[in-house]
Amino acid sequence: MDVESMTTNDWLGVFFAVFVFVAMIYVYFMVFRPANKDKFESQRGMALDDEDLINSGDKK
Amino acid sequence: MEATQAIPVKYDMDVVRWFTIMAAIYLVVGTSIGVYIASELAWPFLNFDIPYITFGRLRPLHTNSVIFAFGGCTLMATGYYIVQRTGATKLWNNGLAWFTFWGWNLIIVLAVITLPLGMTQGKEYAELEWPIDILIALVWVAFGLNYIMTVAIRKSSHIYVSNWFFMSMIIMITYLHVVNSLAIPVSLTKSYSIYSGVQDAMIQWWWGHNAVGFYLTAGFLGIMYYFVPKQANRPVYSYRLSVLHFWALTFGYVWLGAHHLQYTALPDWTGSLGAAISLAMIIPSWGGAMNGMMTLSGAWDRLRTDYILRFLVVSLAFYAMSTFEGPVMSIKTVNALSHYTDWTIGHVHSGALGWVAMVSVGAIYHMMKKLWKTEMYSDSLVNVHFWLATIGTVVYVVAMWVSGIMQGLMWRDYDEYGALTYTFVESVSAMHPYYAMRVVGGVIFNLGAWIMLFNVVMTVRQASTAHGTNAVPAKA
Repeated sequence: MDVESMTTNDWLGVFFAVFVFVAMIYVYFMVFRPANKDKFESQRGMALDDEDLINSGDKK
Repeated sequence: MEATQAIPVKYDMDVVRWFTIMAAIYLVVGTSIGVYIASELAWPFLNFDIPYITFGRLRPLHTNSVIFAFGGCTLMATGYYIVQRTGATKLWNNGLAWFTFWGWNLIIVLAVITLPLGMTQGKEYAELEWPIDILIALVWVAFGLNYIMTVAIRKSSHIYVSNWFFMSMIIMITYLHVVNSLAIPVSLTKSYSIYSGVQDAMIQWWWGHNAVGFYLTAGFLGIMYYFVPKQANRPVYSYRLSVLHFWALTFGYVWLGAHHLQYTALPDWTGSLGAAISLAMIIPSWGGAMNGMMTLSGAWDRLRTDYILRFLVVSLAFYAMSTFEGPVMSIKTVNALSHYTDWTIGHVHSGALGWVAMVSVGAIYHMMKKLWKTEMYSDSLVNVHFWLATIGTVVYVVAMWVSGIMQGLMWRDYDEYGALTYTFVESVSAMHPYYAMRVVGGVIFNLGAWIMLFNVVMTVRQASTAHGTNAVPAKA
């Protein structure tokens, strides 16, 4: 690899590519970590929990 | 939603109602224009030698009206609806929401005026000239600011996954639209991109594919993750999978644009990278589609009677299909056959009609009942619409698949002397039956859109009569 000819843009590209790769691994780790299972899955029904709160704003 | 169980929240839903109605109107307008330009391709006399209605001028009007008019109104209606209800709070600024409503509709009116007049930047899905681009940026940022601030003032501790998808879309589309639209104006109605040559192509398809990835996918996945559980009355199958789906899509989609430029002046590796990441994206896309479908576990029987749920589930099937087809088409070997053919049009419409329109229609029908506190005027018409939309989509897509693959094979066929077997006009002639078939599919889908608009109008009238108001139900 010709490191000498790498431009700022090239280095930025390398940085973001590695960052995204590491970040994605971190996300997989967080999501599949058994200790986090309940924390995540406790939100499964969140969309269903808003039915009692309806007062769907009204025209004046 | 821990802290919010006792006191009913008064939401700002007037603006949601109007965005919903406009979405139903724009679906009719956009698909009607689509049917007309498809007819022009099959029967060119329909151009009537009138420049304003030629295919070249109406095609961008079709794409802008279905993507930005119908899609945009759907996204803003559902976005404002979801962010309030999952956050148990009203909008941060209702006035700003109305600014987005009038601003967005003004943009659509300007598109209807300028595109048939031939005023265009010539960039696909970004045709509108620079003053309108600035207006788009202003309205979109207002939508984003209002959305993000409403999330910030939410009463719930957790930010539901739909809101993450919406915020990802808002941030990325702001970035993509501004960068792609940078241009030097030479008059009020003409400008030139600041990019040139291959850089212009690269920026254009970085925008073009991410308009698909973030606007037509992330935003509508936000819709899916809210409305599928709501309509099925079941919790999301796996919340962990939805989180993974979100981050994989957000990190991954921005790399794909170059797969639109295989075999061009772009460096070879960029196209290969785009194709490789496209293939990798099958995993989160299918994970998300399965997550949506498995949400129906234990409630599959409801598909027999719940026509709205049918829209949502079939949309997921098309989402899975088109997110498999797209990566396959990005592979260079396949792309050598598929690129520049109608196969691409078939692929786009399996996503646009099958995924985006179906999930939107399901969400709109669901919201109609909640927003106007009434049943639909006719459930039977919802069912009729479902079958027309499904059959229309399949007829359209199959016509374009056959036409496209036939085109690709005819263009690359050569005889024993190395000469092309077919002239270009022979391939055009061979496509004619499939172009007529596409019109038939489009008409069927369009008919469903008209039925939906009728049903929406009659439902509003029914609610108005019941509640004694002109357009919206009385205060609860």
